[in-house]
Amino acid sequence: MRGFLMFTMLVGLLGMYLFVSAPAPLADLRAHEGTRIAVSELFELAAAENAAVRQLYTQEIVAAGKRVGLRFDENWRDEDVEAGPLPALFLRETSQSLDKSAVGLGLFLGSDFPIRQANLFNGASAEAFSQLRKDRAPRFFYMDDVSLHTAMFPDLAVTQACVDCHNQHAQSAKHDWQLDDVMGATTWTYPNGAVSLQEVLSVLAALRNGFRDAYDAYLVKARSFKNPPEIGNQWPAHGYYLPTTVSFMQEVERRISGPTLQRLLNAS
Amino acid sequence: MTQRREDRPALRDISSRPSARPQQIGALSRRRRVGIALGSVIAALALAGLYWPGSAQWSAPGPMNIGHEQLTCDSCHRPALGTVRQQLQANARFAIGLRAQPVDFGERRVENADCLSCHERPFDRHPVSRFAEPRFEKARAAAKVQRCEGCHREHSGKRVTSAATVCENCHSDIKLRVDPLDVPHERLAQERRFSTCLGCHDFHGNHVMKPGERMSEVVALDRIEAYLRGGSSPYPPALRKPAKKERD
Repeated sequence: MRGFLMFTMLVGLLGMYLFVSAPAPLADLRAHEGTRIAVSELFELAAAENAAVRQLYTQEIVAAGKRVGLRFDENWRDEDVEAGPLPALFLRETSQSLDKSAVGLGLFLGSDFPIRQANLFNGASAEAFSQLRKDRAPRFFYMDDVSLHTAMFPDLAVTQACVDCHNQHAQSAKHDWQLDDVMGATTWTYPNGAVSLQEVLSVLAALRNGFRDAYDAYLVKARSFKNPPEIGNQWPAHGYYLPTTVSFMQEVERRISGPTLQRLLNAS
Repeated sequence: MTQRREDRPALRDISSRPSARPQQIGALSRRRRVGIALGSVIAALALAGLYWPGSAQWSAPGPMNIGHEQLTCDSCHRPALGTVRQQLQANARFAIGLRAQPVDFGERRVENADCLSCHERPFDRHPVSRFAEPRFEKARAAAKVQRCEGCHREHSGKRVTSAATVCENCHSDIKLRVDPLDVPHERLAQERRFSTCLGCHDFHGNHVMKPGERMSEVVALDRIEAYLRGGSSPYPPALRKPAKKERD
């Protein structure tokens, strides 16, 4: 009887210690309080923003910049190369910034005809991409080994600059690309299957910060050129200029904020 | 005067004498209490010794890796968020389904971000984050490349703990359409000569160097392996971005 009483008291005390919250409970980052949406919707939002920024960078910075003498190169980070990042490497910069943000969103780029063999899809990604190529619809699946929800979205040849560069590149596996072809796919990963609105906002903020970091890295390099372009409010379409990071991001926001808000309203 | 046998206390028959039983139990309890107290003191001293400043070599699972000799435990092992009670509460709630996510207890798990706080390089040829991509599933299974520790297991006293042939996990079908090397990369892969890769390319691209164009210039495997184990570098000494001395 005495033992039973002691046991009951101990269990009671332990229960109080563990479940009666005297201290504030630690934040549960994966808690789904309030409105929650499927991770596929988060992927759609992020991919739409990325596609818009990719188009802006490719058309207004790379294609227009080349016409006024700016150079873009895969080895742009080398000290002896006076060039900016190609669109694929702009995405890589964004991806690295995202990785540092710790929001959990991963972003990658691959193809079935990549410039570099290391970017060739295989396994589950090759299978998903072959279906995506047929109908241009995104594919969603789950990677068991790393416990990540995954999505693949088509990456299109949005300007003639994409087509020309890939057709002429010495390491290209394909030389007959045409405008609007599916040249590859962006792959997105996220750990949770459902996300709160707060989580969506944090992820999108980190993504936009990634665009900012990527463009900022280019400007840092551009300032080191022997003949640096004038950095201000003007864009390459007007001459040997580059917009400031603020101007670039204002244009990004002008293009993507409306559609993103509409998607969020539809999703919630 | 000698006591007669029949007058001595019948010690062997003590259990039959009710008046002696509490004394015996008391003696056993005292011994037990002394034992518990002594054991507790020894355990406390051992624990104190493990956590005493400068005693890390006793509690660490092995010697620090090359370049990390000056690091202290808390350079990487950071305290987990919250108090012990908060951590216990959160994990108890997680265990019975009242919470979506468990929390670290005591110390945070050491993650890639901890390594990258000193070793993050924007030009990294193989940034660890890339290996979370679906197409690297085989490489993850073979070498846990999605974690820095997959190749640089800490407390091993080495620089690199993976094999010098780790490249084979992703580049087994490499083919350069314009190949600068006198023996094409495609042929090297077909012949599975992956022990030669690091002879021209440093994995993360942090050494200022251009790959050679002749196989005769390739750094020998034994020098590469010695470097991975912690020996001197066979690559040019200039680094594009040395590791930070202290984390961000």
